[in-house]
Amino acid sequence: MSQIIRIDAAEIIPDEEAVLRAQGLRRGEPVDGRIRSLLEDTMAILAKEARPVSIVEEVSIEVFETVFHGEGRNADETLLGEVYPRSHGLALFALTVGEAVSTRIGELFEEREFALGAMLDAVASEAADRAVGACERWFLNLLAGRSPASPDDRVLGYSPGYCGWDISGQKKLFQALRPERIGITLNESCLMHPLKSVSGVLVGGLREIHVVDPDYPFCRFCRTHSCRQRMKSLE
Amino acid sequence: MEILQHLSESLQRGEDETVFALTRQAIEGGIPPKEILDSGLIAGMNVIGERFRKHEIFLPDVLMAAKAMYAGLDQIRPILEREGIPGLGRVAIGTVHGDLHDIGKNLVGIMLRGTGFEVIDLGRDVPPARFVESVERERVQVIGMSALLTTTMPVMKQVIDLLREKRLSDSVRTIIGGAPVTEAFAREIGATAYAFDAASAIARVKSLLGIR
Repeated sequence: MSQIIRIDAAEIIPDEEAVLRAQGLRRGEPVDGRIRSLLEDTMAILAKEARPVSIVEEVSIEVFETVFHGEGRNADETLLGEVYPRSHGLALFALTVGEAVSTRIGELFEEREFALGAMLDAVASEAADRAVGACERWFLNLLAGRSPASPDDRVLGYSPGYCGWDISGQKKLFQALRPERIGITLNESCLMHPLKSVSGVLVGGLREIHVVDPDYPFCRFCRTHSCRQRMKSLE
Repeated sequence: MEILQHLSESLQRGEDETVFALTRQAIEGGIPPKEILDSGLIAGMNVIGERFRKHEIFLPDVLMAAKAMYAGLDQIRPILEREGIPGLGRVAIGTVHGDLHDIGKNLVGIMLRGTGFEVIDLGRDVPPARFVESVERERVQVIGMSALLTTTMPVMKQVIDLLREKRLSDSVRTIIGGAPVTEAFAREIGATAYAFDAASAIARVKSLLGIR
C-alpha cells in the first residue's frame, strides 16, 4: 500500500556549500556580498514556495524486477542490478519539491534575472536531493521497526536514467506507484513534471550491498561520478 | 572612446541600469551601434568569459553581466537590424530528446546571445529531426546539443547520423556538452566539438566559425 508523506520543509534546507559549489565556487572560497545576497534570496523563495511531498510504496523483489526491467532497455550490467537482489527491503518512491518552485525558476529566466534563476535552480536541485534523504531515513526507520536493526543497515535511493537503469523504467514505475496522486506526471519521453522531482527505488540493506566498483561500460562516459560520493556518505 | 570603456566596465560589474543609460547616451552621441556593440558590450562580455574560464569569477557574476549585456543589447539590436548589420552567426541549441534538464543549455544561449550570436532555442526534449530541420529551414551554422542523463547521450549521435544521412554534415558544425558528456564521447560520435561549460562553449563556437 502506498503512503503519501509530507516532508517537513526544514528537512530540505539545502547545504549552502553544495549550492555554491554548483555555481562554480570551490570549498572555502570567499563569497562576495552579491553572491551571498543571491543565495539568501533564493533560500527565501524556496522556503516560501516549496511544498515537498513524496509517495512511497514497499514492493517485493519480484514486483521490483518487473519495474526495473522496464521496456528491456537497461544496460547489460547495471549498478542497481547488483544491489537490489541483496536488499532487505525495497520501496518505490517519487517526490517533488513542488510545482511553484519549478515555475518560479522559469519565470526568473523570462524576467532576465538569470543569476537568481540559476541560483534557485541549484537550490531546488539540492533541496530535491535532501528530500530523497528524508525518504531514505523514513524507510530505514520503517525497516528498523520491523526486525532487529543492524548498525550497518543503510537505505539508498536509485533512479531511472542513471547508472544503466534506462529512463524508460519510469513508465513501469509510474504504473506501479501512480505519483499523479501527488501531482507528478510523466511525459512521452519518460520525463517528470514538475522538473524538480525525483523518482526511483529505495533499497534497504547492509551498507556493503551499496558499495560496488563503479567500472561499468557506461561509467566511461560519466563525468560526475556521484556514485562515489553516495558510497562515501554511507560510512 | 571613454564612454565605451565605461560601458564595458559597468557590464563587467553587472550594473544593468548603468549599462542601459550609457548605451542610450552612446547612441544619442552618434556612436555607430556596431561600435557600441563590439567595443562596449561584447568587449565587456569577452573579459567576463575569460575571467570565468580562469575561475577568477563564478557563474552568478557571469549571469549578472549577461543581464547587463541584455540591457544594452535591447537598444542596439533594433538599430542593427534596421541597418542590416549581421550578427556573428546563427546557432541552434537544445536539450536532446528524453532530457528535460535545460539550465546548462539556457546559460549557453544567454552567453551566445550576449556575445552577438543569433540563437534559435529549440527548447528541451528535442527530437533529432527538429535539430536537422533547423539547418534546413533556419540555415543555422552550428547545432549545440546538451544532455544531463547518460541514457539520453545516444540521441546526440542520432542527430549527427541524421545530418550525415541528409548530407547536411558539411554545412553545419555540431557541439555537445552536459554533465555526463566528455571529449572522448564527442570524438566517438563524430561531433565537431565538445564544451566543458558555458564559457568554453562560446569560445568553441567562435572558433568553429573562424571568429577571433
